[in-house]
Parts: sequence; structure tokens; C-alpha cells
Amino acid sequence: MRKSIMLGSLLVASLAFAGSLFAADKIPVGHLACYTGPTSDVGGPFGNGVADALGYINKTGGINGKLLDYDTVDYSYNAPRAVATYKKWMSGLKPVAIQGWGTADTEALVKFVAKDKVPYFSASYSGHLTDPTGKSPRTKAPAPYNFFYGPSYSDTCRGLVQWAANDWKAKGSKGQPKFIHMGANHPYPNAPKAACAAYAEELGFKVLNPIVYSLKPGDAKAQCLTLKDSGANYAYLGNTAGSNISLLNSCRTVGANPQFLANVWGWDENSIQAAKEAGDGVAVFVGAPSWKDTEPAGMKTVREISKMSDSTGKTYRNLHYMRGVCSTFYMKEAMLIADKKGAITGEAIKAAMETMVNKVPTGLEGVCTPSTWTNEDHRGTTSVGVYTSLYNGGDFQLTKQATIEVPRRPEWLGW
Amino acid sequence: MASAHSRMNCGEFRTTYQQDTTIFPTPLARRTALFSVLFLMVAPYFLGPYYLNLGIQIGYYGIAALGLNIVVGFTGQISLGHAAFFGFGAFASAWLNNTTGLPVFFCIPLAGAMTMALGLIVGIPAGRIKGLYLAIATLASQYILEDFFSRAEWFTGGSYGAMANPFSIFGFEFNNDQLYFYVVLFYVVVMFLFGTNLMRSRDGRAFVAVRDHYLSAEIMGINLTKYRILSFGISSLYAGIGGALFAHYLGFVSAEGFTIGLSIQFLGMIIIGGLGSVMGTMFGTAFMVLLPEVMEAGIGLVGGGSGLIQALAYIREMAIGMAIILFLIFEPDGLAHRWRMIKAYWKLYPFSY
Repeated sequence: MRKSIMLGSLLVASLAFAGSLFAADKIPVGHLACYTGPTSDVGGPFGNGVADALGYINKTGGINGKLLDYDTVDYSYNAPRAVATYKKWMSGLKPVAIQGWGTADTEALVKFVAKDKVPYFSASYSGHLTDPTGKSPRTKAPAPYNFFYGPSYSDTCRGLVQWAANDWKAKGSKGQPKFIHMGANHPYPNAPKAACAAYAEELGFKVLNPIVYSLKPGDAKAQCLTLKDSGANYAYLGNTAGSNISLLNSCRTVGANPQFLANVWGWDENSIQAAKEAGDGVAVFVGAPSWKDTEPAGMKTVREISKMSDSTGKTYRNLHYMRGVCSTFYMKEAMLIADKKGAITGEAIKAAMETMVNKVPTGLEGVCTPSTWTNEDHRGTTSVGVYTSLYNGGDFQLTKQATIEVPRRPEWLGW
Repeated sequence: MASAHSRMNCGEFRTTYQQDTTIFPTPLARRTALFSVLFLMVAPYFLGPYYLNLGIQIGYYGIAALGLNIVVGFTGQISLGHAAFFGFGAFASAWLNNTTGLPVFFCIPLAGAMTMALGLIVGIPAGRIKGLYLAIATLASQYILEDFFSRAEWFTGGSYGAMANPFSIFGFEFNNDQLYFYVVLFYVVVMFLFGTNLMRSRDGRAFVAVRDHYLSAEIMGINLTKYRILSFGISSLYAGIGGALFAHYLGFVSAEGFTIGLSIQFLGMIIIGGLGSVMGTMFGTAFMVLLPEVMEAGIGLVGGGSGLIQALAYIREMAIGMAIILFLIFEPDGLAHRWRMIKAYWKLYPFSY
């Protein structure tokens, strides 16, 4: 009897050992999320999208049967903590790819991931991350292992300005249109400032002096009065959503009503609900269909992914969630390609990413914009879908106005 | 028997002023400190990169926090702009290195000197005002510098931030954590010894006198304005060196990082560690750096889905605030005081009274 117990436990132990051997065949992936901290309003949904997508990939068989071994860490938008987490991963998990978040972690890790050859998928769409070789005179340092899904901040702003120019003509307005950049004096709103102003001038806009308003939501009537006096026709909002909501409310009060153009993190479903009528007509870049959109085939997959953390399937997922899902699925596609060619390593994933031409991840048709990466150009896409929003008494609408294809000029690489 | 008797100490007796003002109060403390440094010198050979990273973080934050402790804990002034000085040091070192090509080895102390110069200027109001008014004046310097960081493209790279090269001297690069750990360790030892020594000096005693009763200090002939400004200057020197070490470690400096939040965190470090205690500063810094990591590990042990991780992330953030409040209530003198209590307990064990 005792012998059989011993034998049995030996068997269990050996099985466990075999199991751990099997586990060694997993694909380690890091996920730096921003659930707390200053950018958590948009970082939360994005992080959920990534986490759910990673879980979903495992649920549906992983990468050709190899499961992802992923670790989600909330770094609170604190660069030193992101670096600490990265070092922890490199000594333990040894990820072959990382899903990251914003400016703080992405910029701090550019050099590290390049040295360690770990592809870094960020939600920071800063223009200078698009230059993998450092050839562009605008970039200070190459970012060979950085990828992101979507047009860069600069290209988004260029797209919105292009749309504004078309809008001006379509409306048959006379005279020279005036464009103004608004945003806090902060790296994020400033990122597309110069690039966008240059393109606006090229398109025939008169570019006015920028207006500074705080990233923290508050009363912005003074800024709105300045905006009104300036006579701007098109105003680009560079801040994140919370601050834009309060600005639009203030501007409605003082009667400043140019056509507002909002950046990718500056306007979403929550802001439409919060700003109510004050936000009507804001033109924004939308990179994915909304949760209410049932048409695109890929939305079925997104709904399945959403069930990973919400089995009822009733939770509304906003645009940032979709972007998180897309970012993760491009990584998955690259891993599939890498696996077919050999081992899934950081280098192989980078190489696989750079073979993608007008690629849409399988299962997400109509959700992710077709994207192309090459070994000299990491501008995944330059296509900017411009939508306007309408509060409509709570049953808000996002109406597509146009898709602007921003030209892929070589001199704009890294800017 | 006489020799054995002479070796048996039942207390520490000091018969000269020199003995009374040694850096280490007992031979055991001196040996422990020496041993700790020796231990840390061999540590990079067996510590993983994660622990090295934490050690380096504790090092550069600790240096900056000691600076704040000199101005807050020893001189009794208040500063809410310490993070801005920390940031200035970081940008200054990166800027010096990028524009002049001077090896980083020299840039770090130079950045400290530049930050000190700035601190002496910003400290001028401190010579005239005190209490809440001084708090607001330092708060203003925090915002002015923050704005300067995002505007002064020539100095900080503006919104793109500045690249900082790895620590190097004459072509030899300290480009991994093992080597950088020694750099930070060197600065920690030098700066902490300097801090301790400062407090034994005439200037250090003047600081304490200003803190304890500024009127009496002035009557005793201490130049209040001079010492208040000097205190800010020295505090900025520490912040600048801490910031420069931070910059060359991360390799990238962004204007986003040096907010009022970090200033408050520095205050939290010295409150938890112990105001007016050099050793406490180190305790407090280690506590603040390690707490989120320990919580993170705890969350990892509990495990579970992403929902749970997300919920626990908030608990972790709250824990830091909670720790500060609990310390203020139960241990206002900080970890340094707790440490002394523990030592006293064992010294008298089992016959404590």
C-alpha cells in the first residue's frame, strides 16, 4: 500500500516535472499597463484590451499551440518603475515582446529594447518612434525595436488639418482659414505641434499663436476668450480627454465655436457623454469601429475577446480597448510568421513585423486599419479616419466624415 | 584579570569632545557600516539585475532625499520643489555631456554645482520668509522649473526630452547595471559621509540652531539669511547629483517626470525615514522604493485574472498614502527612531526598565 502511494507520488512528481518542461515551451510576453496614475483614464481601457487579447490568444490555442506566458504590471506612468519592471523581466521572464503604454515608459525603454532586441509595442504614437534606422535628420536616436499600431501623432494631426482644408473648400468659405494649436506645455500635446503647423501652412492656413490650457481639467474660459478673439476657424486640441471636456464646456459658455479637431487620446465615448452638447461636432481621429458597430466581421472576435474579462458581454468597450486589441494581434501575427520560419525570438518578431504589407490581423477584419511596416519605415499606417461626434441626448453618434490618406513623405519619417 | 576587566564595557564613555562627535557612535556601528559597504561592493556579483536596479533606485533617490532632509529636517525650512531640482540636475548633466562632450564622470559633479547655484538663487526668498509663505515660494519654483523644462528646447530638448549617455570616463563605458551600481554606491558613500560630517561642523550646528529656535539662533550671532540660503544650496547640490545619476542610468530624461508628485514623494521618504536623521533618510528611501515592489510581488502571489490585478493596483497606490499616514500617527520620528528603539531594546535585554 505504502509502496503504491510512493509510486503514485513519484508519478505525480514526474508528471509535474514534465509539465514544467512543457511550460518552458511558452512564449514569454511582458505587458506594462497604466491602470493607475495620470493617464489611467485612457490607459485602463487600452490595458484591458491588451490583457483580454492576450488571454484570448491563449484560449484559442496560442501561437501554433505554444501558449503565451504573459505578465501584466501596472507601472502608474512612472518611468523609473517601468525600467525596474523591465529589468525584472529581463532577469526572469525574458520576454520576446512587450506590450507597453505611453510616452513615459516607451521613451525610457527605447535604448534598452534596442540593445536587448525586444520588440516594444507602444500606445505612444510619437513620430520619432517611426524611424528604425535613425536616418531622418529629425530623429535624435533610432528606435529599431519600437512599433505601434495607428498613425503617429503628427500624421493624425496632419490628417485632421487636411480634412479641415477640404472642409473649408466644401463649405465654400472665403478667405484664408486660420488654424490654431491648443494644449498644455507638456511633451504629449507638444509632440505634433511643429509638424502639424508646418503642414497647415503648406495647405494655405494662417497658423496662429498656440494657446496653452492645462492638462488638468478646470475652468478654461480665459483660454476660450483668447480663442474667440483670435478668430481661429480650426482648433486642434492636443490634451487628453478630461481636460478637453472642461475646455469645450468653457468654450460653449463664452461662445467660442471654431471647428475643434481632437487628437487620438483626446476624445472618446466617455468624453462625448461627459461633455454633452458642448462636444457636438468635434472632429476626431477614430482608428477602430465603435462597440455599437456590428457590421465589420472582426467585431465578432472583439466581442469574444471582451468576454475574457466580462462573461456577460454587456460591458461597453471604447475605442481605446479596440486599439489595445489590434496592437496585441499584430504582435500575434508577427509571432505566427516567426514561428513558421523558426524560433520565436525578439529579432524574428521584428523581422516578421517588417514583412507586413497592408496587413489586417486574421479575425479582426474591419476593426484594425491595414498596416505596413518595413525595415526603414515604422509608420504602420498613415490613414486617418475622421469622425464627428454628436451627443444626441445620450444616444451618441460618431459619424464618419472622410478617410484621409496622409502622404508617406520620406522627409516626414521620424517627425 | 585586569586586562579582561578593561575589555568589559558596560557602557560607552566619552571623555573628550572629539569622542562625542564621531560619525559612528560605537565601534560596532562603525564596523557594521564598513561591512555593509564591503557587502554592497561584492553584491553585484550575485544580485540579479532586478535587485541591482532597486539598489540603484534607492541610491539616487536616497542622495536627493538626504538633500531634502538637510533643508527640512535639519534647518527646519520647507521645500515643495525638490523634484524640480532633481530634474534640473538630470537635464544639466545630460546637456553638459551632449553639448560639450565632457565625459559623464565630470558632468555629474558639475551638474550638482549648477543645481546648487540655482538652489542658492531660488533659496533667496527663504532668507526672508518662513512657514507657509516659504512653502508657496518653493512651490512656485517647482512650477517655474517644470515649465522651463518643457520650453527650453536648447537645454532639455523640450517635449522630446533629452538623451543621456551612459556613464563613461575616457572611453570606458559603465554601460551595465553592475558597473553603474558602483558609481551610485560611490556617490552614496561620499554624499552620506559628507552629510553626516556637515552636521558635526559649525555650519551644521548653525542649521540645527536655526531649526530649533531661529530667534535664539540670531541672538547667538548666527546669520539667519546666510544659513537658510546655504541650506537650500546644499540641498540642491544633493538633488542635482541624485538627478544626474538618475539621468545617466535611465538614458533618457523627460520633462514629464519631475512633477510636484515626486516632490511630495521625497517629503514622504524623509518623513517615513525620520526628519533630521541621515541614516533615516536611507531607511525612508528604501521603504518608499521597495513598498510598491513588495506589494507587486504580493499581488503576484495572490494571482488571478486581470480584473483582480487591476483592483489590487489601486490598493498598492493607496498603501503608499496609507504608510505615510500611519507613520505620521504612530511613528512621527520615522524609521530611524524605531531603529534606535530596537537597538535600545536589545542593548538592555532582558533587563529593560
